[in-house]
Amino acid sequence: MSRRLYTLLATVIGLAFALPLLWALSSSLRGGSEIFQHISRLSWETLVPASPTLANYGALATGAFGRAILNSLLVALVTVVAGLLISAAAAFGLSALRFRGQGALFAIVVLSFLIPFDAIAIPLATLFRDWDLTNTYAGLILPGLGHGLAIFLLRQFFLAIPGDLVEAARIDGLGWFGVFGRIYLPLSRPALVSAGLTLFIFQWQSYVWPLLIGTGTDHQLGPIALANMRGQFTIDYGQLFAGSIVLTVIPLLIILRFQRHFTQSIATTGLK
Amino acid sequence: MKKSLALMSLLAVLAAAGCGSGDAGANTLSFLGPEDPKTFQPVIDGFEAEHPGVRIAYTQIPFDQLNSTLQQRLAAEDETIDVYTVDQPRVSALAARGFLADLSDWKDRVKQAALPAQYDVNEFRGKLWSVPIWTSDQFLFYNKTLLKQAGVTPPSSDPAERWTWERTVEAGRQAQARGGAQWALIPEQIEQYYQLQSLPESLGGGSGITGTDMLTPALTTEGWIKAMTWYRDLFAGGLAPRGVGSFQTSPLFTEGKVAFFAGGPWDVGTFGAAKDLDWGVAPYPYFEGGKQVTPTGSWSWGINPASKRQRLAREFLEYAALNPEGNLLTTKASPIIPANRAAFEKYVPTLDALAGEKSRGAGEILTYDADHTAVARPRSVGYIQFEDIMTKTFADIRNGADPKTRLEQAAREVTTAWAQLR
Amino acid sequence: MTTPPPTSTRLPTPTRPTTPRRARLADRPAAIALAFLAPALVALLVLRLLPAGIAFVSSLNHTSLLTGETYFVGLRNYATLFTDPTFLQSVRVTLLFSVIVNPLQIAAALALAVLFTRRFAGVRFLRVLVILPIAVPPAVSAAVWSVAYRPDGLLNSLLTVLGLPPQPFLTSPGQALWSLIVLLSWIGVGYWMMFLIAGLQDIPLSLYEAAAIDGASAWRRFWHVTLPLLRRPLAFVLVADTVANFLVFAPVQMLTNGGPEGSTNVTMYDIFTRAYTVGDLSLAQAEVMLLVLLVLAVVVVQFRLLRGKD
Repeated sequence: MSRRLYTLLATVIGLAFALPLLWALSSSLRGGSEIFQHISRLSWETLVPASPTLANYGALATGAFGRAILNSLLVALVTVVAGLLISAAAAFGLSALRFRGQGALFAIVVLSFLIPFDAIAIPLATLFRDWDLTNTYAGLILPGLGHGLAIFLLRQFFLAIPGDLVEAARIDGLGWFGVFGRIYLPLSRPALVSAGLTLFIFQWQSYVWPLLIGTGTDHQLGPIALANMRGQFTIDYGQLFAGSIVLTVIPLLIILRFQRHFTQSIATTGLK
Repeated sequence: MKKSLALMSLLAVLAAAGCGSGDAGANTLSFLGPEDPKTFQPVIDGFEAEHPGVRIAYTQIPFDQLNSTLQQRLAAEDETIDVYTVDQPRVSALAARGFLADLSDWKDRVKQAALPAQYDVNEFRGKLWSVPIWTSDQFLFYNKTLLKQAGVTPPSSDPAERWTWERTVEAGRQAQARGGAQWALIPEQIEQYYQLQSLPESLGGGSGITGTDMLTPALTTEGWIKAMTWYRDLFAGGLAPRGVGSFQTSPLFTEGKVAFFAGGPWDVGTFGAAKDLDWGVAPYPYFEGGKQVTPTGSWSWGINPASKRQRLAREFLEYAALNPEGNLLTTKASPIIPANRAAFEKYVPTLDALAGEKSRGAGEILTYDADHTAVARPRSVGYIQFEDIMTKTFADIRNGADPKTRLEQAAREVTTAWAQLR
Repeated sequence: MTTPPPTSTRLPTPTRPTTPRRARLADRPAAIALAFLAPALVALLVLRLLPAGIAFVSSLNHTSLLTGETYFVGLRNYATLFTDPTFLQSVRVTLLFSVIVNPLQIAAALALAVLFTRRFAGVRFLRVLVILPIAVPPAVSAAVWSVAYRPDGLLNSLLTVLGLPPQPFLTSPGQALWSLIVLLSWIGVGYWMMFLIAGLQDIPLSLYEAAAIDGASAWRRFWHVTLPLLRRPLAFVLVADTVANFLVFAPVQMLTNGGPEGSTNVTMYDIFTRAYTVGDLSLAQAEVMLLVLLVLAVVVVQFRLLRGKD
């Protein structure tokens, strides 16, 4: 297949994935009653608003939404940094070294992500209340740190790192922390980015948990501010879509920023 | 890298700022509900003006998570909730679990102050557990343009000339055939018990719950089956749309696609704001030969027994429910009906004039319905389970399930769910 | 890499040093490993397994919603579930759903990963478009797709343009589950693709070159070079995707409520309804335990099969 054919195929697929979001984007630029008008018969107006308005975005700026976005960013970024460190260290312990009982510890990791978080959130919230973590950033961040899936992911990639590399480094006098920090982490950037995104999304979409631990307005997160735009009797769809575009664009920028790490790997860092 | 560092430090500052604020003092009352903070700002301002030094901290919880959030936090005896909004049919279940403080010493005062259908809903096992703040009613909105094009005379707003469902459907059919209407008749809360209870009730089929302890399902009565058969045919015959959720129904009317729309007073404001839409309001229909029944009920407020500020909480409730001025303030920012009789009388003219000529008659209907046709949802400890099962039942019937077998299945499911209660 | 370049199209299994060699390196491997593992183990124990333990205890109790009293009932909640037609149906729906959705998503993710690791104009940007849906708030993807699936909605108007008959989608018991599978794949496929891309990047180009010199066709190269070397990331995606699909419920909650006629009532949604809507926590926790056991069984089988290939 030629490159042009690939581009064509990938463009069709990319557009198919983007189409629902494009519709949400165009809806966010429409006035309230206009949103559902063009869904029954396809025309250019289905995707392009006739008289686009930024009123919905203006309305976002006045409410609690801005503060909630900043809160979400804080919670998600702290989770990513701390969570990656914890998970990568654990994955290192499960892959670079061999010891008795490793299987059992790995089983704990696997088991921990089989348990649906929404189901254990209720007893966990009771514990957090006893520990005085209600309505605090710590209360929002902590549940994101115990992420078995991220550990499992990193372990899978760490297993691919050649053992003689470690051996050589050890003979050169590098300690285990050095092996972890100077060999494993730099060699696993694509996996770290993926794991980081996983941790990020977990917090970015956090919805039931903040409500359970009684988060007040000052610590409110983005998804809750978004849900609060639904009135009890009516929904302002224009504002809802505008809020969702904001909530989608931020991860988009982050993914774009870290894209280049996808192409950096063992193969391209000159280690053979 | 520099940018991310800048961002991190910004967030750190924010975190530091956030930690310092928000501590609740002895004179700060925390109040939880599903409404936009703007809705309650007038009543909070009014109360704070009368009680210098007192602050009400309101937190909004998304509507779809309100009941579960309250349930979990109240069960954990979370004392950071003082006052909260209570969905009226849930009063029994909340009271039974001990999630509401006893307000029985206010019985007589509430009876005197509230609209007729608004006292009972707050009582359970002979005690008063919450105070009524809002109530509701349903109207029949019609699109004047579509009816005119079809040559149909619109219904009168006079409660004495209330239309039947049969007549409404027939007129809607004509609007579809000759007036260019896409849909004949849409009930706003298209799969909700709140709205659909009125159908079997009108045919004498009952609420669906019976027994001295209100824990026996009665869903297979003749009235229920007849009402649900009518409801299924509404969708099967293309008079109303399938696959459109409760929140997407009113935009259809606003876009001028619907001849008749059964909706609440909150729609008066929305429809009034729509340009180029000519509409009117009439009483909510009933079945030919049946009873006139209209949906009612809304929100009460209650006090968390674990709250450390009981006295202050009671003062706030007193102001918002028993003081007509305070009760009226709860409706200032959102067109919903106050449950306090005196506030209600002041409110009626404002609703009537809300959308000018179009909404004329709404006030009269409201007054008549409150006194004559309003039937509240059943008071049962098992209402929560019941409502969940009924929502799914209505959805299936709407999508074409056989009404009789589906209602039988619902009755079995309710029985199983209620067996778990004990 | 320690792997010698393949001299034929035979499977180039990557080898790794044997255990004793590595054990010699570490003085006390268990202690060092534990030091690295400690923070994560504490987090997992406190934040996941401790509440799960509490949930298990709660599944052995019953709280009367009439009186608020809690008392010990042993395994009664489990017995109740096994006679509850709603639960039994939810297990059937969940299994059917898993059997369809997992192979579909993994195959699609793999195909997309292969496509998006080629070099062509616009690859980076288009790749992000495919990953992006995972970042969309669930409430919003539900809102968008409910409009798409409405009988008078976007998809049917598209079908009309193509000259095809309109479909009932979410309003029909026969199509609702499939409609959800499409929606969930829109959300998830790009996400799983991302891990496979990370894995594909680790395969040295020299292996492909060697295989090409040997005259292996593109298909054989994929089968004998790509797949074996992608084994570990693929194992991760297989297990993680399976688990994720067992635990998914947000779109069900927002779009179908488990209907029509229970056709989309997956067990996790049933659990969510019992715990959050109805508030019967004990029964919900018993159901959680059963679901976790089911998922565990499936995952153990997957690990066995994967090890068998090793």
